[in-house]
Amino acid sequence: MSSVLEPFTIPKPAIETDTSSDDKLAPTYYVICWNDPVNLMVYVTHVFMKIFGWERQKAEKHMWEVHEKGKSVLVREGAEKAEFYVHQLQNYKLHATMEPAE
Amino acid sequence: MKLVKQTKDGWQYQLNPAEADCLRSLLNQFPITASATAKISRTDSDPQIVDREKLLNESLADHREKLKTRARSLIGAGKFKERDKNWRLCINSEERECLFQILNDIRVGSWRALGEPENLEPQTPSPTEREKVFHNIMNLAGYFEHRLLDHEEAENSS
Repeated sequence: MSSVLEPFTIPKPAIETDTSSDDKLAPTYYVICWNDPVNLMVYVTHVFMKIFGWERQKAEKHMWEVHEKGKSVLVREGAEKAEFYVHQLQNYKLHATMEPAE
Repeated sequence: MKLVKQTKDGWQYQLNPAEADCLRSLLNQFPITASATAKISRTDSDPQIVDREKLLNESLADHREKLKTRARSLIGAGKFKERDKNWRLCINSEERECLFQILNDIRVGSWRALGEPENLEPQTPSPTEREKVFHNIMNLAGYFEHRLLDHEEAENSS
């Protein structure tokens, strides 16, 4: 009986699926508030402070940005949280949308 | 209307009889305008956007129904109390936020009913009765929003 060695194959390393990279690739969205002539400036500031828990200074900075530039990017978030913020802002009748972040 | 007392439990505003009448009338008639379809995005072409927008509009409609209930409870649950020929409105923080949302729904709804004008003043020398009504309601809701937030502006400027 000949002692022929069975070909030895090196097992391929298992390729692990890195689920954490999925998170990194998950699309993010900008939550944007758009200007309109009807919402009062003091009201917009109040709503930003209430929803995002911002200090007055930060809320006013974004309010002025909306007023002077026509829009302000409020936060960048994953789809679910961005959607939550848009719902909250629209409950207060602010003109807010979520736009894909590139 | 002015803030007379603020504690950790709530807020007390004093209103003169005319203000109390107007505010109760606005609350009693809420919602004054039909709801408008809301957009969730201006640029997103993702097919899921249709579902997201549907969900948003369902959520807003549901929220508006809850606000209607809250509006009625603000009138009927002893929140307005007569005192020395004036009225006191006693509300907690959550009720105050509901009041903001109700008033701004009325204000924005009236603005939409007027055709979303860039200039909030009447554009014609002789506005129609309908235009007059919506201008008045829009300004009234804005007046109460200002009064509710007056002290915040004052604190900030001091």
